[in-house]
Amino acid sequence: MNETREPIISLRHVDKHFGALHVLKAINLDVYKGEVVVVIGPSGSGKSTLCRTINRLETIDSGEILFEGKPLPLEGKELAALRSHIGMVFQSFNLFAHMSILDNVTLGPVDVLHTPKKEAREEARRLLDRVGVLSQESKVPAQLSGGQQQRAAIARSLAMHPKVMLFDEPTSALDPEMIGEVLDVMTTLAADGMTMVVVTHEMNFARRVASRVIFMDSGSIVEEAAPDAFFTNPRTERARSFLQSIHGH
Amino acid sequence: MSISQLLAQYGEEYLAALLTTWKLTAICFLAAFVIGILITVMRVSPIRPLRIFAELYVQIFRNIPGASLLILLVYALPYLNILLSYFICVTIAASLIPAAFCSEYLMAGINTIAPGQIEAARSLGMTFSQTIRRVVIPQALRSSVLPLTNLLTATMLTTALASQVPMNPLDLAGLVSHINTHAVGGVMAFLISAALYCATAVVIGQIGTRIDQKVRILR
Repeated sequence: MNETREPIISLRHVDKHFGALHVLKAINLDVYKGEVVVVIGPSGSGKSTLCRTINRLETIDSGEILFEGKPLPLEGKELAALRSHIGMVFQSFNLFAHMSILDNVTLGPVDVLHTPKKEAREEARRLLDRVGVLSQESKVPAQLSGGQQQRAAIARSLAMHPKVMLFDEPTSALDPEMIGEVLDVMTTLAADGMTMVVVTHEMNFARRVASRVIFMDSGSIVEEAAPDAFFTNPRTERARSFLQSIHGH
Repeated sequence: MSISQLLAQYGEEYLAALLTTWKLTAICFLAAFVIGILITVMRVSPIRPLRIFAELYVQIFRNIPGASLLILLVYALPYLNILLSYFICVTIAASLIPAAFCSEYLMAGINTIAPGQIEAARSLGMTFSQTIRRVVIPQALRSSVLPLTNLLTATMLTTALASQVPMNPLDLAGLVSHINTHAVGGVMAFLISAALYCATAVVIGQIGTRIDQKVRILR
């Protein structure tokens, strides 16, 4: 990485507790423009929480999170404005159940960015086409398969023209045959230069697409490496046993 | 008097009373609906005093008997130099109480919304009020059509409070008292009003079911 460039996201000594549980321990992480940072680790390692602190869906106890060099604002209009620049894709899709797929995608642009309706619709259709669910535009989320819902959710995020996209285990709730179609969309996004933070259990995706792999365990970043180095020759014992446990089945 | 005698003599009055009951019901339900939504928004708002106020409102008006509230409005308010017409007193009583129930039903509707959708709205950069207007309230409304239909019927029955005060024009319940003070209508006079209440309730129920089928959210 070019050290003189400023990171787009910067976590400095971030700590968080859930009651007695220390979920994030002194996390330091910089994400640069165009990077795909893939966060892996066992369940309960804090990787989802880490992802959710970046747009302040989770608050932190101490430390600092900077977006484009500025600390995240507290609740309110400023935070809302900042969130509009950070796309988020969830494990459970979280499409708005009472709206058509098209309306799901236009809601953000129309209400938050004040894009004219017609323009927002055209763009939404383009994005739905890009993720391959344009034919579903007038259905409601429950009428779509999980994979289609997740691709529509990605389109919903993209419609905001985010500077960064966060993926919080985007394929963990999907049937195996639908994982590929979602990962394909994400791979294309990465190839187009989108800055991404991806929490996932998909090791092949991490290996293929990541610029950097972050391995977390018990709330700490245990190892940070280029994907090839990490998967072929992990430096720590914990990463080694984690990779072995995955490859074991 | 028999039903036919009653209808011959008071047919027009019954019709006028039915219209009055409908009018009262419509006004009260509309008011209850608006107040109910406002109270509900306060109950989910991040501002603590608003939440406390709204919870108090619901606890008080869900639990106060309609007749007591009406008596308070009619007899107590004049001591504060507030003199309201009987019609207004009945309208207020039959609005404030259903509003509390309206809020309860909407809260139940809100609880059906997956929390993830709220997070998705916030992630898009929507403010609290945008999230409430575009995601929370529309879904809460659509999943509480049937309870709200029942509330409309209950509101109509609550407007029968009007018979406890000399309201002019007479509503369906008031007309029965009127007939029985001026003539001997007996039970039959009650039966006609009861039948009209029932018929209205059945129609309301039918419409409610239709609306529910149309707007129900697939999950």
